[in-house]
Amino acid sequence: MRLITRERYIGRGLGMWAFWLHRLTGLAIALYLLMHIVVISSVVGGAKNFDAAMTFLKAPLFILLEMGLIAAILIHGLNGLRIVLFDLGYGVKKQKEIFIGAMIIAVVPLVIAFAIALPHIIG
Amino acid sequence: MTDSIKLTIYRRDPDLDTAPKYQTYEIQPEPGQTVLMALYHILENVDKSLAFRASCRSAVCGSCGMHINGKNRLACETQLAPLGNEICIEPLPHLPVLKDLVVDMSSFWRKYEKVRPYLITLKEPPASGKERLQSIPDRKKIDDFIDCILCACCHSACTLDAWSDGYLGPAVLAKAYRFVADTRDEGGAERLKLVGSEEGVLRCHTIFNCTEECPKRIPITFGIQEMKKKVVWGKLTGKM
Repeated sequence: MRLITRERYIGRGLGMWAFWLHRLTGLAIALYLLMHIVVISSVVGGAKNFDAAMTFLKAPLFILLEMGLIAAILIHGLNGLRIVLFDLGYGVKKQKEIFIGAMIIAVVPLVIAFAIALPHIIG
Repeated sequence: MTDSIKLTIYRRDPDLDTAPKYQTYEIQPEPGQTVLMALYHILENVDKSLAFRASCRSAVCGSCGMHINGKNRLACETQLAPLGNEICIEPLPHLPVLKDLVVDMSSFWRKYEKVRPYLITLKEPPASGKERLQSIPDRKKIDDFIDCILCACCHSACTLDAWSDGYLGPAVLAKAYRFVADTRDEGGAERLKLVGSEEGVLRCHTIFNCTEECPKRIPITFGIQEMKKKVVWGKLTGKM
């Protein structure tokens, strides 16, 4: 007899969101590191080459992407601390509150970064 | 008269070996009617071929765990009224379907047996010939975890369980914790060895789906994390 496994369970709880955000921001940060190495290695082609790369990266699009990077690092880092807390046995029964708290904390530096970057984005 | 409601039910007949389909039944709900009562109504009056598991009708036996409107619940304690006019009933996710809403639980029971889910004692029983006594605060420690009815609602909601065939899963680990936290039990070290592996507590990614879905509101992830702590300390101090 052939058994059919039904589709996977789709979690809607806050913990599931935290899990996916953690995974996706982790991948985004890893991808950034790769691109970062590529950009920095342009220095091999001499000072002019490096300056050209830096000028290219001053475009508003890249500054916006940098804001995304800051957001990813804040989310990943703060949620990482939340997971470390659980592994140490703290706050397991307050996981939702801790996640919401971590995200509120993440918003503050992000807003400051945006305020600094805004003139560069608008030009 | 109340409006009729539509029940869309996952159907699959293994004898026909065709792809699963969804069949919709329209019923007139009665006040206080549960999903299980509605299923019995369909079985008795509309479609005698519908298969589902149920027994006690009072959220004690754990037979009627189902995926109802996107959530794992016990059909017997879930009322129709708050679910709206369209209700989708499916078998528990990522377990093999035997027929309609009946899933194959054999992998679940195999994992369950692995953690030795019974009291292990080394000391002689009390001379009085009565039960092994426990203080009230000690009993409080296992209050939540003795409520487990093994309905597999948490098990089939666990992302890591879906990803890894070998993972013991939340229900099994919660049962292990029920005995690890029990002061009368003396099999703690052995049990921690059983769950202290890659396929045990260390596989848990603290997603909390199990805790979200437990019909008995057992803080399952808390139990898993408590054991994780014990396992890690045991390994660091060389006691395990």
